[in-house]
Amino acid sequence: MQLGEFEYLMLTAVARLGEGAYGVAIREEIEAATGRPCSLGALYTTLDRLETKGLITTSMGDPTPQRGGRPKRMVRITPKGEQAAAAFYEAVMRVSRGVAWATR
Amino acid sequence: MTTRVYWLLVEMVSRLLDQPERDVVRGDLAECGARPGPALREVAGLVIRRQAALWIDWRPWFAVASVVIPIGLLLSHASRWWGITTGVDFANYWVLWDFSYLAYPGYRKDVIRTAVWLGAAWCALVGWSWTSGFVVGRLSRRALWLTISLFALAVFVGTLGTTTVVHRPSNPPLQYHLILVVFPRLARTFLVMLPMVWGALRGSRGPVLPLGPTVCAVLLLAGTSFLVSQGLENSVVFGRGLIPPDPGPDGFVISADDPRPWWPLSLVMMWPAAYVLAVAGRERWRENSAHA
Repeated sequence: MQLGEFEYLMLTAVARLGEGAYGVAIREEIEAATGRPCSLGALYTTLDRLETKGLITTSMGDPTPQRGGRPKRMVRITPKGEQAAAAFYEAVMRVSRGVAWATR
Repeated sequence: MTTRVYWLLVEMVSRLLDQPERDVVRGDLAECGARPGPALREVAGLVIRRQAALWIDWRPWFAVASVVIPIGLLLSHASRWWGITTGVDFANYWVLWDFSYLAYPGYRKDVIRTAVWLGAAWCALVGWSWTSGFVVGRLSRRALWLTISLFALAVFVGTLGTTTVVHRPSNPPLQYHLILVVFPRLARTFLVMLPMVWGALRGSRGPVLPLGPTVCAVLLLAGTSFLVSQGLENSVVFGRGLIPPDPGPDGFVISADDPRPWWPLSLVMMWPAAYVLAVAGRERWRENSAHA
């Protein structure tokens, strides 16, 4: 399964957050890791793409007062998603072996 | 005040998202404590991405290429033509009307003929618009509101920069404005856009079309289109400043014996009706197959 860089970032964030993975948390995780802003448009269209590929599953969480009584979209990584992320990680590690910035 | 306007815009723009996603996104914005400007930018960005994704499919493009542009522009000219014609006849009868004239058979005949021709033209506009809307709704699905907006654009600005070279009445300024501006806009709104939106909603999520009434309605529309086809051709020929056809043997342009080089326009207007008929036929066939 081919992954893009942003898709990998998202899968990693979802895996790291575990049970607490939902829109705002994933966004904050990605922004903290990359130092770049992550728009809601990019976030939700990528989530849809990953769900279509079968790499994640999503469900509606309970509404909370903090969110004005609106629900969260909870995200879970699937075994297929873990495999795809691992394959991407290994490819990056392999291709980076011996280059200047990898040995710094 | 500005903040309230921004949040109102956020609310309006987010309505273009599906209900569950709208709730999630509004919840995310509330949880982040987003300020109204960035919130609007975020929601608009998501809506644009969602709308763009719908256009990866070929069907909305086909709806635009086959209905929105050709038929939208033709309806723009036809609605102006018949809007002005209605305005001229309305103004003449308003100014000159006297019930005692109805005692004269010639006057009665003239009134009836005018009413029949205008009624046929209005019915044709409504029928063409409804069937066009049905095709747009069926093909566009979730890109519906954007294709409807494009259709409205074609209808309302399709005649910009053109002028009708006939029907330029020498009436007082107010009547002149009513005839050349108000009546065409009324025709576009009530005889074109409203039936078009109705047809689009019916095409996108309406129940199964009943075959019998659909066949009758399409035949009626075909007959009406045939009746008013010369008016449709004239609306384009004169509206675009094209060289009018030679006058026929009677020596007058826009009379029944003119040559008809633009007759295929009526066929263009009828193709959505043929599509509606095909959909109704297919739905009946599926229904019968399911029962069998």
